[in-house]
Amino acid sequence: MAAKSASARDVWVIGGNRIPFARSNGPYSHASNQDMFTAAVDGLVERYGLEGQRVGDFAGGAVLKFARELNLSREVVLGSKLAPETPAFDVGQACGTGLEAAILIANKIALGQIDSGIAGGTDTTSDAPIELNEDLRKILMDANRQKSVGGQLKTLLPRLRPGMIKPEIPVNREARTGLSMGEHTAITAAEWDITREAQDELTFHSHKNLAAAYERGWQEDLITPYLGVEVDGNMRADTTLEKLAKLKPVFGDRETGTMTAANSTPLSDGASAVLMGTEEWAKERGLTPRARFVDAETAAVDYIVKQEGLLLAPAYAVPRMLKRNGLTLQDFDFYEIHEAFAAQVLATLKAWEDEAFCKQRLGLDEPLGSIDRSKLNVYGGSLAAAHPFAATGGRIIANLAKMLEEKGSGRGLISICAAGGQGVVAILER
Amino acid sequence: MSIETLQSSPSSGSLYLKAALGMTPLARGRGKDVPQRTLQLENIAVDSAKLADYCRVTEFTMRDTLPPIYPNTLAFPLHMKVLTAGDFPFPAIGLVHVENTITQHRPVKTDERLTLSVRATPIAPHAKGRQFTMITEVSVGDELVQVAESTYLKRGGGDKNTAAQRPEGAGAPGELPQIAEWKLPGDLGRRYASVSGDRNPIHMYDLTAKAFGFPRAIAHGMWTKARCLAALDNRRPDAFKVHVAFRRPVLLPAKVAFAVAERGDDADQSGLDFAVRDVKKGTPHLDGTLRPL
Repeated sequence: MAAKSASARDVWVIGGNRIPFARSNGPYSHASNQDMFTAAVDGLVERYGLEGQRVGDFAGGAVLKFARELNLSREVVLGSKLAPETPAFDVGQACGTGLEAAILIANKIALGQIDSGIAGGTDTTSDAPIELNEDLRKILMDANRQKSVGGQLKTLLPRLRPGMIKPEIPVNREARTGLSMGEHTAITAAEWDITREAQDELTFHSHKNLAAAYERGWQEDLITPYLGVEVDGNMRADTTLEKLAKLKPVFGDRETGTMTAANSTPLSDGASAVLMGTEEWAKERGLTPRARFVDAETAAVDYIVKQEGLLLAPAYAVPRMLKRNGLTLQDFDFYEIHEAFAAQVLATLKAWEDEAFCKQRLGLDEPLGSIDRSKLNVYGGSLAAAHPFAATGGRIIANLAKMLEEKGSGRGLISICAAGGQGVVAILER
Repeated sequence: MSIETLQSSPSSGSLYLKAALGMTPLARGRGKDVPQRTLQLENIAVDSAKLADYCRVTEFTMRDTLPPIYPNTLAFPLHMKVLTAGDFPFPAIGLVHVENTITQHRPVKTDERLTLSVRATPIAPHAKGRQFTMITEVSVGDELVQVAESTYLKRGGGDKNTAAQRPEGAGAPGELPQIAEWKLPGDLGRRYASVSGDRNPIHMYDLTAKAFGFPRAIAHGMWTKARCLAALDNRRPDAFKVHVAFRRPVLLPAKVAFAVAERGDDADQSGLDFAVRDVKKGTPHLDGTLRPL
């Protein structure tokens, strides 16, 4: 078990900014990852007076990105109002990208390598990278290796087929199981006996909580409008349990399945960024830090042979992090659990209550226990806000830091599941 | 001065037809001076798909505010309507765009409804001919947010006593350090035409450009200016004035050098100077200055 370093410096989340999230092929259809990320960063720069300033480092990423976007974060910095002397690097950990980027920035600050940094992420499913047909790509690469034009033509012409015009479209599918994330979660939902009613109820609260946050103006220092959009497009403030109950299952068995288009996150577009730094750095600039970024943990499960739930890795990450910090699952004022699917949130909570799972799988003496559900995703979650993959981490960190600042003191848990059977979790305190 | 408010943006295709007819002996009844009327379009909403296409061709990042040069692009059909009016003193085709100044009082949000109003100034003498300036005012409600001035030259019958105007504050060509090389593809004119509506034949194909005395198709001056502003987009204040003088046309395809230098921090001296010139020969294509307001 890793131990926390005593010499580490306190890292503070100073604030965040995001653009409203939009449903795929909606208002951001023509915006690129770089456009959206730059908009989110420039909103952050404006809010915290960072124009022309060099921050220590900038980490960000996108799950779906073009090969030409290999230096996406640096290009975002160069197109933003930050000083061009701000270095940047790309991070990729599927849906954990945004939170992992924040962990990397936090670690650098904690070690004294930098005093400030920005972490974030962006994703678009509307402007997604479509690749050349794989057969065509191989032929083109073979032709490229030929020295003469004649040789290139000889390599190309006999092998070209009309069917090669069909491109490769990115799919949401686990390479090693051939199942989509929804299909994997349908298995988990059935295994943990997660009911349709429970999933719809979580979904309902997600929308209601987010709508209430907008109603109160709570999002005002967390969001800047983009392309005329001011509110998350996926939010359904007027949804009811009756409406949710009418939807047909979309994953698992089409008759008896429990997962619908509402209790699963839709494909969406958006970007977010979080400003972090030491307390001194913030104070020198007249900024009030919101919450400390205390610790983080990443876990992965064998969802292939051992058939663990693809999205249940946070169930492993959280107890390891709790032990290191001498905490119990109940020692939190807020729980921010990313709602990829309502079923995955509920299965995670159920796993922590389950004696057999906690003893056999997590190696604990007793279950972690239940959480107070009124503390879960109190300003809405991904089911309502939607989930532009790499942008979700920044949304959650910024929200939780503000919640802790408002409360005055307290502790919050962040849990994000990611493709490949991974989980990224963190603790914020104030 | 009369103000004519149009119900919709005129189609630039039919205006080019009119412009082409304006070159034939059929055209008559031209006025002696620029007619003093204002054309106006109200309640113009930006189409985000078109804006995105524009941003891709000019390399602007698509932000929540418009590229500062974009409202001027939206007003292009009005410019053409002014230039092709029967009583306009010169045929539209054959006018040379020599200078362009944009004064932005504040950034324009992508979802703001714009009023565009266009008028031309009276003819003034120029060393190489006669000139006039097309003035585009961009307003949101009653607030004037931007003014664009495009100066056109009609060659011939110049007044040698008129000193050739030098753009304010511009350094001599060649003084600025080159920071980038841009490769401009042969179809750039067509690509920019499709996002700006400016289908002037001198930009479309070598053949159509030859008909007007150019050896090859030439890049739109407003593309070149847009590309410069895109490169400086995060290095300028919100309220600013950007002036460019168009020098020699860029023959497509081309490799051009972009040069830029930051000026001092003195209040009246700050800003950026920039230029576009031929990579090999250094032939100046564009000289520009950007100053905070």
